[in-house]
Amino acid sequence: MTLTSGLDSLEVPAATPDLVNQYEARPLSSNRRTPTATNRQLVVRLAVGRALGQARDLDDVYSAALDTLAECLDVSRASVLLFDPDGVMRFKAYRGLSSEYRAAVQGHSPWTPDSVDVEPLLVADVTRESSLERYLPVFARERIAAMAFIPLVSVGRVIGKFMLYYDAPHTFEDEEVKLAAVIAASVAFAVERRRTEEPARPREASAATEASAAAETWQWVVPAGADHDARQDGLPSATLRQVRQCNVESGADCMKILDLDGRLLFINRAGLEKLGVKDPGDLLHRSLVDDWPERERESLSNAIAQAKSGAIGRFQGSFRTPAGSMKWWDMVIMPIADASGAIVQILAVSRDVSAPWKAQAFQAGQHQVLEMIATGAPLAEVLTLLTHVVEDQCERQPCSVLLLDSDGVHVRLGAAPSLPEDYSSRLDGQPVGPGLGSCGTVMQLGRPVIVTDIASDSQWEGLRDAALANGLRACWSTPILSTQKKVLGAFAMYCDTPRRPSCEELRLIETAADLAGAAIDHHRSQEALRRSEERSRAILRAIPDWMFVLSKEGVYLDCHVNNPDGLLVPPEVFLGKSMRDIMPASLADGFTQSFERALASNEPERFEYSLDLGQEERYYEACIVRCDNDKLLSIVRDITDRKRAELDAAAQRQELAHLNRVLILAEQSGALAHELSQPLAAILSNAQAARRLLDRVPLDLDDLRATLDDIIKSDKRAGVVIHRLRELLKKSNTVLQPLDVNEVAREALDLTHSDLLLRRVPIKTSLSAGLPPVLGDKVQLQQVILNLVLNACDAMSAVEPTERELTLTTVADDGCVQIAVADRGVGIPDGELDTVFDPFVTHREHGLGLGLAISRSIVLAHHGRILAENNADRGATFRCFLPLANGQGDAIAGRAD
Amino acid sequence: MTDVLPLNLVIVDDDADVRVALRRLLRSMGHEVHVYASAEDYEARPTEADCLIVDLRLPGLNGFELRDRLRLRGSQTPIVFITGDGGPSPGDSAAHADTPSLAKPFNDCDLIAAISRAVTTCPGVQ
Repeated sequence: MTLTSGLDSLEVPAATPDLVNQYEARPLSSNRRTPTATNRQLVVRLAVGRALGQARDLDDVYSAALDTLAECLDVSRASVLLFDPDGVMRFKAYRGLSSEYRAAVQGHSPWTPDSVDVEPLLVADVTRESSLERYLPVFARERIAAMAFIPLVSVGRVIGKFMLYYDAPHTFEDEEVKLAAVIAASVAFAVERRRTEEPARPREASAATEASAAAETWQWVVPAGADHDARQDGLPSATLRQVRQCNVESGADCMKILDLDGRLLFINRAGLEKLGVKDPGDLLHRSLVDDWPERERESLSNAIAQAKSGAIGRFQGSFRTPAGSMKWWDMVIMPIADASGAIVQILAVSRDVSAPWKAQAFQAGQHQVLEMIATGAPLAEVLTLLTHVVEDQCERQPCSVLLLDSDGVHVRLGAAPSLPEDYSSRLDGQPVGPGLGSCGTVMQLGRPVIVTDIASDSQWEGLRDAALANGLRACWSTPILSTQKKVLGAFAMYCDTPRRPSCEELRLIETAADLAGAAIDHHRSQEALRRSEERSRAILRAIPDWMFVLSKEGVYLDCHVNNPDGLLVPPEVFLGKSMRDIMPASLADGFTQSFERALASNEPERFEYSLDLGQEERYYEACIVRCDNDKLLSIVRDITDRKRAELDAAAQRQELAHLNRVLILAEQSGALAHELSQPLAAILSNAQAARRLLDRVPLDLDDLRATLDDIIKSDKRAGVVIHRLRELLKKSNTVLQPLDVNEVAREALDLTHSDLLLRRVPIKTSLSAGLPPVLGDKVQLQQVILNLVLNACDAMSAVEPTERELTLTTVADDGCVQIAVADRGVGIPDGELDTVFDPFVTHREHGLGLGLAISRSIVLAHHGRILAENNADRGATFRCFLPLANGQGDAIAGRAD
Repeated sequence: MTDVLPLNLVIVDDDADVRVALRRLLRSMGHEVHVYASAEDYEARPTEADCLIVDLRLPGLNGFELRDRLRLRGSQTPIVFITGDGGPSPGDSAAHADTPSLAKPFNDCDLIAAISRAVTTCPGVQ
């Protein structure tokens, strides 16, 4: 297993064959990991398609609509209203509305049946919508705070609307509105379709009943011993008589009489017409089963066998007529018995049930198209199926899907399975625009173009001959638009007679264009996703970092390692194991803490660590991010080289800092000698005084004791000086501890006291009492203060002694402690404020110019900052800010940048 | 021969430990001793003295400046400088010319020798 595949499953929710089921398992409203917008729309389309496909009548359609709204948009209160024949908007179905409310608002509509180009109206807050002002009391009683009017549009005409109601003011998201529009389009189509079929419906169910009644009669009418073999008219005369008697000949159903082998003996006129056959001789004596497509044969044979056995068989099936249109048949097959009760022939009554079946087939076809889209079938296959689904609804009306190339200029053939190839191939690769039949114009203008006669339409000049040669006389084309209303292509339906399309046909074309848009949108977003995945994989191959996917418990699930040699153990050893089994315990603890922070914050978490690989110690930096909700992606980089360089730099910095301290002390040697000679002088004088006191009579013991005490005191004083010297001269590692800045400052000043006297620089201190402690290294901070003090003295060396003054201030300052050293010297020359901390920049006669540079590096290492400024009157002030010991250091260091 | 007659001596040193120790030492030899922490302090409350023992490095006026001011005012009181810096720097040598100085720490006999040399060479005390 490679990480690439693991990452796929982590990050890419779409493009899996079980997409549909995946979304069925999670209600959309609570689905937090919303995939791409197109995916979500597909899911909604499938949901609508499924709900509408199961609808038996208009009421079912309405409640399917309300169900889908509730499920997909999470609105519990909604209604469907349609214009009645008088143009009044009336409630057809509703959820969660009182009868008072419905009565109060019935008839209100922002649109009329003649409105065109209508868009959804979104009322985020009803109290702010002046056009609804008169309904405010009604809304208040009904507790409606926000609402949306979603128009139901069929063939450009408003037929009604959805209403969505909200308890609280509601911000409508684009996504929400688009989904509502998708649902509205499907529902509008279903409503129109059902409304045209509804009157025909009651008859459908009766086919079987009528046929059964006829069979009852025939069973006793056919006389025994009738001439079964009489072939005049292909029918036994008695049967024929009976058939006529039953008046079946004049009915609309197709009546066939078969012999016991299933061969056709008789077919009525209506049947011939239905089948589009002129001469019954073409059909007679052929096996009925053989005329049906393979897939239907078994169930038809079964039904015939049932009739032969004396029962009534039932068969439903479809086939394409020789003229090319799909016909659905409902067939009742029953025995014809003679007077003795022997079964002699078989009667098959077929009713053409294409109209309702077509509607159902269209729903099913749409659903199938959507499922193909969702399962990532190739676009060409989806579009081919789509054209077939539409073509099955009509007679000899081939359809085409043309795509606008991503260059926005050229036409690509999407699907045109039923158009002659020598015609369709002429379309591919042409530039859009007029002259390329209807579709070129459609793609250029972005609106439908209905050409009723290709022979006379100027847009068809370039293609006219080819079209006419293939019997294409009319072309009705509509643009395929993306969710963002961009033209993706055109859907066209051709007709072999010059005429306008029916409303039904326009609806078909519209629906097909809509589905094609969904298919192309989805295809493009999948393409984009695939390309981005490919890029991701390329990146993965290119970068040297190691990647590990871990569960939140720290179990290695997957990894991507270009160079496994550097790993502590090879992948096959650690995959499936817990970090605790692989890493040292302290390191695993560190990782666990980083994991917890990364999971909690959803921000990348950085973690540095080192591993002892036996030969050498190597350093790593892990960047840990949450992925796939509860897993962690740890990207590990070997930073040994960088780390070593850093450590070298740190060591060098320490060397330089030490050198700086040595130089300070060298410069201070006179002052330091003075600091030591004072207590030594006191000790010697006291000791010599004591010797003399011993010679006194009487012995003054008190005086002697006081003398010895003084000796001890002075000796200790000298010891302190030496101790501090040793501290400053020692090369020691940084030791961070909570420090009282005032204490640090006092000790530094003690060291430099004599020097200041000699340089004749009076010092003023203003040390704030009760400063909070800072976290720091005592020696290094003393070094900073010493550097700043010496720098200030140097700055004043050219100034009259009476004008000199050095002020050292400590003060608590917004989360840190500020140490300020101000002088009354010459100040920092213009333009050098920025470089004053650079190394080897010095205005002093001696020294390397390291003091301020070292001071800055020390302060930065303390997560503090240091800055220099000229005083308003004269001299300069250096301020250094040190973060407090209570752990707000990062914030201060961040600000120092 | 280090011992001299009891003298009135003044010590000017800013270091309290040194002041106390020197006073104790000189008193143990039988001298009268007055101590001051600074030149300004001494000028504010001067006492008659046979010799001044003055630290060179003082806050405010230093040892040389105190001597020059006294001489300017006509005082010829002999002065012995003491210093913690291991002797005066070359730049100070002119100012230092006729005044003995001792580097701390110094021996009692060296101190007395310096005092007696100062007292005997000084015109006023001959």
